[in-house]
Amino acid sequence: MSDEVINERIGKDYKAGFVTEVDSETLPPGLNEDVVRAISAKKGEPEWMLEWRLKAFEAWKTMEEPDWAHVNFPKVDYQEISYFSSPKSMEDKPKSLDEVDPQLLETYEKLGIPLHEQEILAGVAVDAVFDSVSVATTFREKLEEAGVIFCPISEAVHKHPELVKKYLGTVVPVRDNFFAALNCAVFSDGSFVYIPKGVRCPMELSTYFRINEAKTGQFERTLIVAEEGSHVSYLEGCTAPMRDENQLHAAVVELVALDNAEIKYSTVQNWYPGDENGKGGIYNFVTKRGVCHNNAKISWTQVETGSAVTWKYPSCILKGDNSIGEFYSVALTNNMQQADTGTKMIHLGKNTKSTIIAKGISAGKSQSSYRGLVRMSPMAEGARNFTQCDSLLIGDKCGAHTFPYIESKNPSAVIEHEATTSKVSDDQMFLCQQRGIDPEKAVSMIVNGFCKEVFKELPMEFAVEAGKLLEVSLEGSVG
Amino acid sequence: MLSINNLVAEVEGKTILKGLNLEVKPGEVHAIMGPNGAGKSTLGNVLAGRENYEKTDGTVTLDGKDIFELEPEERAAEGMFLAFQYPVEIPGVSNLEFLKASIDAISKYRGVEAPDSVSFMKKAREACKAVNLDQNFLKRGVNEGFSGGEKKRNEIMQMMLLEPKLCILDETDSGLDIDALQVVAKGVNELRSPDRAFVVVTHYQRLLDYIVPDYVHVLADGKIVKSGGKELALELEKKGYSWLEQEVA
Amino acid sequence: MSQAVDYIRESSELAQTLEAKTKTDWLADFRKQRLNAFAHSSFPTRKTEHFKYNNLSALTRQSFARLAEADSGDIKLPELAEQLDADRLVLVNGEYDSSLSKLEEQAITFYRDANADQKDFILEQLNKKNDKKNIFSLLNDSLTQDGILIEFNQAQTKPLHIIYVATESAQQKTTFANCLIRVAANCQATVVEHFATNKDATDNSLFNQSTQCVLNDNAHLNHYRLHLEEEHTIHFGELDFWLDAHSQLNSFHVGLGSQIKRLDINVYHQASGSHADLNGVYLSNAQQQIDYHTNVEHRVPHCTTQEIFRGIVGGSSKAVFNGRIHILQDAQKTLAELSNKNLLLSNKAEINTKPELEIYADDVQCAHGATVAKMDETSLFYLQSRGIPKSQAELMLSFGFINELIDGLKHQAVGDYLRPILANLFEQAA
Ligand SMILES: Nc1ncnc2c1ncn2[C@@H]1O[C@H](COP(=O)(O)OP(=O)(O)O)[C@@H](O)[C@H]1O
Ligand SMILES: [Mg+2]
Repeated sequence: MSDEVINERIGKDYKAGFVTEVDSETLPPGLNEDVVRAISAKKGEPEWMLEWRLKAFEAWKTMEEPDWAHVNFPKVDYQEISYFSSPKSMEDKPKSLDEVDPQLLETYEKLGIPLHEQEILAGVAVDAVFDSVSVATTFREKLEEAGVIFCPISEAVHKHPELVKKYLGTVVPVRDNFFAALNCAVFSDGSFVYIPKGVRCPMELSTYFRINEAKTGQFERTLIVAEEGSHVSYLEGCTAPMRDENQLHAAVVELVALDNAEIKYSTVQNWYPGDENGKGGIYNFVTKRGVCHNNAKISWTQVETGSAVTWKYPSCILKGDNSIGEFYSVALTNNMQQADTGTKMIHLGKNTKSTIIAKGISAGKSQSSYRGLVRMSPMAEGARNFTQCDSLLIGDKCGAHTFPYIESKNPSAVIEHEATTSKVSDDQMFLCQQRGIDPEKAVSMIVNGFCKEVFKELPMEFAVEAGKLLEVSLEGSVG
Repeated sequence: MLSINNLVAEVEGKTILKGLNLEVKPGEVHAIMGPNGAGKSTLGNVLAGRENYEKTDGTVTLDGKDIFELEPEERAAEGMFLAFQYPVEIPGVSNLEFLKASIDAISKYRGVEAPDSVSFMKKAREACKAVNLDQNFLKRGVNEGFSGGEKKRNEIMQMMLLEPKLCILDETDSGLDIDALQVVAKGVNELRSPDRAFVVVTHYQRLLDYIVPDYVHVLADGKIVKSGGKELALELEKKGYSWLEQEVA
Repeated sequence: MSQAVDYIRESSELAQTLEAKTKTDWLADFRKQRLNAFAHSSFPTRKTEHFKYNNLSALTRQSFARLAEADSGDIKLPELAEQLDADRLVLVNGEYDSSLSKLEEQAITFYRDANADQKDFILEQLNKKNDKKNIFSLLNDSLTQDGILIEFNQAQTKPLHIIYVATESAQQKTTFANCLIRVAANCQATVVEHFATNKDATDNSLFNQSTQCVLNDNAHLNHYRLHLEEEHTIHFGELDFWLDAHSQLNSFHVGLGSQIKRLDINVYHQASGSHADLNGVYLSNAQQQIDYHTNVEHRVPHCTTQEIFRGIVGGSSKAVFNGRIHILQDAQKTLAELSNKNLLLSNKAEINTKPELEIYADDVQCAHGATVAKMDETSLFYLQSRGIPKSQAELMLSFGFINELIDGLKHQAVGDYLRPILANLFEQAA
């Protein structure tokens, strides 16, 4: 495939880029203690929650934005951002879906996420977060029967304070990093999941996040606790309208898998990536981490196609013996997008195992980096890691990079790391074309093939969606 | 010489050998045949003492000594030799260095003087010649970049040098062309002697045309299900193994 | 921390005092520029990416910022000097020693005696160094009073064996040395850089050394760098290779751990068709540290790199390997591979490896692999099944693990010299 053909038509097509006209209540831009207090007050939070936030805010003020990632963007002015936005109609929380503003429901329908329970794909419960607040959680009754708690985290603070207090900030401490500290101070909503001992969650749980309002940041917070022997699969999807300015998204996700529990966390991230000249788009600075106790397993699967800049390392702390961590990732960047993503596998327990499969695809003038850490602690007797990082370059203006940190202090631990870089070859393209497949389809086929190992980890409906998303995101990368 | 009594063994928690009995006397050649996955290689590995191949019941003695009391290298020094089905490659360790270390260690265990370098080299060269391997193979890394056939011949070459008393050959014939097969058979036949015994594991009757066994055993599902003379091999060749399984069931 | 600041201040002062009496004033601008960069650097900490895994506390504990003088004492050269039929260049505590050297075929030029063309070449080459990340290299540059220029201008028949020995008088001192090697177009050369310590020193000595190698069109350089100093040595080394069109580099490294040993190797493919083989082994034991930072830059199309490093890490030692392959946008049709394998032998030892790829061109084939593992159990069993006791089998396998690379050496004499040294090391470790 010649470079001219590739460069000829670098366009974009962001299907989730519409704006919803809803009346909303937004805090004026700026961040200070009063703002933190205001957010807490809006949520009617108990004192302990406010204190926790204030402590985080104090910590954040002393911290510096990290600069080690292989990304380049103008400095974010944290005083320019509004830290809270809520659709007006949410002021008095709807009791059921019927009371939800029809415009909002329509938004989710446009995104292909119907919230009416009867229309929902069987077996998926959805929590939808619009700007800063959760607008609807479906299938709650059915989940309650099983003893599963699935609700906005703001609600959990009120209804299940003991659980929130016990686990919030235990996996990602307040001072963990600049963005995490910021999130602790100003997080507005997110999902809370609790699976009781021995329960297999009867359906997939899913959250859709959408940033709608201009000049707002989204700081959601997710906490999933899987009690001993329980099992849950959780999906998250993200979109945002097309806007010229950059918007900040700094989320924190904490997973706790107690003995013998299993959490599967899948993400399809399609925040607005900005236009072909790099104008606008979401800054996606996310901290995701899970801790595995004995024999527990956490599996992260992510398909990252959106955002102007991504800084994200879903990680596993393999604390318990025989625990398992997995990371399956596809990160596609096109146009001017930049992604620095990967994982950390911290092996503390005996016979812990981790697998990392990371696929990076760079097109246009984008830069995609894998950054990973595999650490074998002195106690990690018999631990194993296998890492495979593959990069695919489409066109000669992009970059693909691999920065794996491998640290071992245990002679019985085994680490294997491999990385390759390739391009879509002329031979592959020719064969497809000779069989009548147009170049764009051919590239998407080849790219899909390249990502297969990761897609097969996604729940069925998501896998299809992810494949389509790649196709759309790659549009214009070939003639 | 080798006495296996009701041997039960497991690999990674899975029971593979389920009560196996076998008596091998000096000078005898025993052939063990059986379908894939029957446990033939497992038997070889258990006898040689491979890690993770656990004996859970039964006894095995070599000239009256309980082999499970011995480390793998001690078993080798006691005279047990296993020709591997899949010989591993050890890049960087030359064949020669490897063989010398082996002979020295075994000699030391037996309290005899190891051959000096000159006579060792001479023997090594002769052994190479006997199995039709170029001298260069001595200098190369152990099995490094050897073809399948070369690896098998290398195993026989080692056997000739180490002069064991019990030789266990695990599918040494598989993947060999007819010439190589004859070379291997010749090597074995030259070593046959009244005080040495062979256990020849094979999938095909073919090898037994060249190495004529005294006894043929069929190993299926972890047990010896039938034993007989060399004519049993021919019968197996004709009828396959399934009739046996039915007969047993 | 304040000691770290002192380190920089004292060193800067030293550089200024030396400036007054130097004979190479044509290098003054270069020195000034580098000194400036050095003085503005901060002393590396664990947060400094480039020195993330280095424990530099041994440096700040003692004052090193003084030059050692030449030592005319009783110096015993390493055995390789006898075994290798080579020209010999001996530097004692960084100073040229004419009585120990034996230069029959190959001429050398001190920077202070350089003619106009040579001066231009030296300056051009020094100014090409642009790595501001390594303060030790900046320090060396800012103290470049003199150096040795070695030009291979015709077919060379004998290797050049460069021996750096440190003696007792280097204890508690810092020694600086510089060397610039040029292999002219269509010429072939073999250079063995050999670092040794003369006596059983009981105290630290610091050696800060820089070698630059330029390979002109079609030149071929066989290069060995043997770091066999005893463990009190602290070494910061910088080694750059500049590859012109169709030149070929074979560079082989052996590094034994010591108090601190850090080598930064850069390979610059600056014209099409060049090839680099960069291989090495590192072994550390006891409380030692060893750190290889390699950086291969493909700036132009159609160049190839093969890099293999293996490490064996025992005792309470710490090994670091950072292997970067950097493919710039113009470097289409690059072929570059890196493999780093490590054996960790002890519960207290530590290995940190980071194979990096930074790629800005699409039509390239690049791959890297890294492993950290214990001994292969199948191989161990194979050896045991042939009667070899486990501990000896482990020794054989460890040695085999690195011997694979030693066996591949072009100059047998070097391999023959190294094998017993390394084998002996394992036996001590066992
Ligand atoms: N290392 C091992 N780990 C797990 N299972 C094994 C291992 N080795 C052998 N087995 C299992 O044991 C059974 C017998 O295998 P093997 O002894 O190799 O059979 P044969 O040599 O008769 O073909 C098979 O089911 C095989 O899968
Ligand atoms: Mg078998």
